[in-house]
Amino acid sequence: MTFEDALQQALNGLSFGALLFILAAGLSLIFGMMDVVNLAHGAFYMLGAYVALSVTRATGSFWIALIVAPLALAAFGLIIEPLLLRRLRGRHLDQVLITIGLSLVIADFIRLRDDWGWGATVRSLPFPAGLDRSIQIAGSDYPTYRLFVIAFSAALAFLLYVLHRRTRLGALVRAGVGDAQMLSALGVDTDRLFTLTFAVGAGLAGLAGVVAAPVFGLQPGMDIDALIYSLIVVVVGGLGSLSGAIAGSAVVGPADTFGKVLFPQFALALIFAIMALVLLFRPTGLLGRVRIGR
Amino acid sequence: MSRPALARAAIVAVAWLALATFPEWSQFWESSRFATGIIRQILIFAIFASSLDLLVGYAGLPSLGHAAFFGGGAYAAAIAAQRLGTDELVVSLGAGILGAALLALAVGFLAVRAVGIFFLMLTLALAQMVFAIAFQATDLTGGSNGFSAVHRPILFGIDFNAAGNLYLLVCVTFLLVLLLLWRITTSSYGRALVGVRENERRMRALGYDTRTLKLSAFVLAGAIAGVAGALSSYEFRFVSPNDVALSTSVTGFVMVLIGGAGTLFGPVLGAAVVLLIERVLPSQLPAQTVLGIVFILFVVFARQGIAGALRRMVRA
Amino acid sequence: MSDQNDLAAKPGSHNRMSRRAFLISTSAVALAACAPATSTGGNPASSAAATAGKALKIGQLLPFTKVYAELGNSMKRSTDLYLKTKGNRLANRPVTVIYEDEANDPQVGLAKTQKFIDQDQVDVMLGVVATPIAYAIRNAVDSAKMIYIATNAGGNALTRTTNNCTPSCKSPYIFRSSFSSYQISEPIGEYMASTKGVKEVFTFVADYGFGTESQADFTTGFTKGGGKVTGTLKAPLGSADFVPFVTQLKSQPTKDIYSFFSGADAVKYIQAWNQLGLPAAGYKMYGAGFLTEQDVLAVVKDQANGAITSLFWAVELDNPENKSFKDAYQKEYNLLPDVFAVQAWDGMRALDEALQKTNGDTSDKAKLIAALEAVKFNSPRGAFEFDKDTHNVIQDMYIREVKTVNGQAVNTISDKIGRVTDPGK
Repeated sequence: MTFEDALQQALNGLSFGALLFILAAGLSLIFGMMDVVNLAHGAFYMLGAYVALSVTRATGSFWIALIVAPLALAAFGLIIEPLLLRRLRGRHLDQVLITIGLSLVIADFIRLRDDWGWGATVRSLPFPAGLDRSIQIAGSDYPTYRLFVIAFSAALAFLLYVLHRRTRLGALVRAGVGDAQMLSALGVDTDRLFTLTFAVGAGLAGLAGVVAAPVFGLQPGMDIDALIYSLIVVVVGGLGSLSGAIAGSAVVGPADTFGKVLFPQFALALIFAIMALVLLFRPTGLLGRVRIGR
Repeated sequence: MSRPALARAAIVAVAWLALATFPEWSQFWESSRFATGIIRQILIFAIFASSLDLLVGYAGLPSLGHAAFFGGGAYAAAIAAQRLGTDELVVSLGAGILGAALLALAVGFLAVRAVGIFFLMLTLALAQMVFAIAFQATDLTGGSNGFSAVHRPILFGIDFNAAGNLYLLVCVTFLLVLLLLWRITTSSYGRALVGVRENERRMRALGYDTRTLKLSAFVLAGAIAGVAGALSSYEFRFVSPNDVALSTSVTGFVMVLIGGAGTLFGPVLGAAVVLLIERVLPSQLPAQTVLGIVFILFVVFARQGIAGALRRMVRA
Repeated sequence: MSDQNDLAAKPGSHNRMSRRAFLISTSAVALAACAPATSTGGNPASSAAATAGKALKIGQLLPFTKVYAELGNSMKRSTDLYLKTKGNRLANRPVTVIYEDEANDPQVGLAKTQKFIDQDQVDVMLGVVATPIAYAIRNAVDSAKMIYIATNAGGNALTRTTNNCTPSCKSPYIFRSSFSSYQISEPIGEYMASTKGVKEVFTFVADYGFGTESQADFTTGFTKGGGKVTGTLKAPLGSADFVPFVTQLKSQPTKDIYSFFSGADAVKYIQAWNQLGLPAAGYKMYGAGFLTEQDVLAVVKDQANGAITSLFWAVELDNPENKSFKDAYQKEYNLLPDVFAVQAWDGMRALDEALQKTNGDTSDKAKLIAALEAVKFNSPRGAFEFDKDTHNVIQDMYIREVKTVNGQAVNTISDKIGRVTDPGK
């Protein structure tokens, strides 16, 4: 591998990791705060991408979709949490079953909505104007959209960090990750807090759907891929913390990309090998605390 | 035996006999034998789901890689029979059990040190590596095209190519596995597993080697999944990477949850519900949507799965 | 007997008996309702007695869920359309088509095939997209003497003589109206080397059975024509990100790249190809035709321009049958047909022609097989007939180049390789 190739692959790995961070942030938040493994996260991501597809078709603007789709998914989360999840607090196996059920229904709904221009056909969200070309980096073409993804993801991480550290909601979330029962004893309305958390998590999944759609495309099965990627990132990083999601995506993205280049024969299971390696040496993830889901 | 226990044993015996003789008494209205085939498949998946329940429901080990041992057992049985050039049931079933158990030993050795979702993801990851081998080792497994040269076995001259014989084989194996699981879960060993699920630290303080306990359960469950895998290779005369895939692990997991984790008959009922929706429901209906709605309804209305709901009904 | 091991009862779980009881009873009814559905098989002798005039039952095994769902939709549309144009009668027999979803899972495919054979007792069977499923059902179809026309699954072994029938082998009962991977990859290999004078090629294929087979067939043809394959790269089926792979293509010196990808993979590959500036760097894309079929071109638009592929059909193909097929399909569905629609259409057409010769008789299998073997007609793809030896279709291969015509990216036909026959072993 020449230096130019290595640099290109590093950018590929970085932008892949950046997408993974956006993808995993919502899952991580919901897990950390509510102790819920939301297996419908991938379906929310998929729904976000298809909403973005419709919005872009209707308005011609990727940027409007970038705002509308996350809001739509957040609203969806606002309905789903009290309806299905509130009563299941602490019942992990029931949460698993109901979120799998939800994701099957969502994915099948998308498959059957040919009339909305969704359906089972391969779809793609075009790059937004201005980010649809390539620029020269180290004497070679590189797509600007992928650079945008890196910047966007970094900005999102910073924003979430500020919200987390500097706002009252952030303080509640930090406290809630530590001990939700204590919060409730202190008089915080945890039901409302959890609903809000779930909505934000769903909104982040929708956001990931918009940002990733021009790169990963829209097709049946994308929900499962996204779910597995985000679970891997969250678990590798260590559960439920923002820094864990950052660490996880920063490791998994580049490791997967370089692994595929260096060991192409292992490409199929590479991302799982990375996760297994991390977990074998750190059974609670890179930044994981000992607290586990029970 | 106490009287209620005797009554229950009698009910189980009658139910099993009815099941085992299904091909006989059903032929007046089900001459096509399609239902018999579906019941065979349900029983095979019931064995698979029941073995997973030993982990999920009893030992509190949420494995999302159990298909590795189902498919691993299927491949081991098929490959052993092909390489050794024999159709003897003992050889292929033995190879299926042994192969799955060894695989489970390797996976479990690495996985049982993690807990909760980390255990879940570690089993998922290791199973995906087994999948990659099945998918890519074309000379051994046939790769993505699957392994098609599977023969149905013979035992003491009984040829299981006859569908009726195969049905009996599956029925008898199903009964034996269920009895075995009943013995395990009601033994002191089974209670120790539940103890690990409820409070591992306390069990350790009581002097149990909890890691070995968990690993033994993992290997046992893997071996039983291998039985199901071997039977599946006889049933379909075909093994494919799908049998090792995540989707099959998830299917097994869902069968356990929907039927009722930690119960003996729950996974059996769960297997029936899922397979009936996936394989018998008319294709005009969107099976995935139906499946999803059924999952949601079960969580909302039938806590602890079908088995839990039935039990409450009996008590009412 | 397992009470003591039950999950701890949770508070509040004892006060909704009636509703749960209701739910249990309704689900029991639902289960029971499934049972009669499995019992409508009727007399096994009835299929043998089926003759002209009686309803003809056709089983179509197609994917309606998972990754290949749209292929199944397309093939169903075309089947429905064929029957509609025939007034829902073939050889004067009214037709019932039973569609089943194979869900891209060999076990499910086999279970549904068994349903066609045992319960529905269909007269003929068509369909199957994924090669592993066709291989999985091969023995069941063969031993039931069920006439089956494969309308996509292109794995070579399905119509070949192989060692121990591994991974599959030809059967007198199995025909194929689609293609074999040899047909779409070997001839273009030889053509590129001998006619186009391409000396060196690098191959990049999807890492699964069919991709590997296509790569091998291409290499055989290309080497035969005097060319040399300088290297191979494989990407896992359904890779999320193709940019790292295309970066690798760009870092090796051979400029002519032959690929096998389809659907979403093809889309991501072509997009990455352009984003990384491969056309400007002098790279040229070749492939089996699925790389640039309509589903792909509809998304990538002119990004695939210049790509040269081989396939047995193109929507632009200029012949009367293709024109009337396209017109009818567009009128019915307001959509252009794709190659999968053609495969399903020709499967139905071949069956129709054969049935006319047997006067609608499907009970005499030998007669129907002979009739199918003798079928010859002009399909939207050109002349269509089955190889009597292998039962694989004999067909022309078109060399196509993607160009923008009237603002639309299309596959223009630049050359033709006549009557490509699978070697059969």
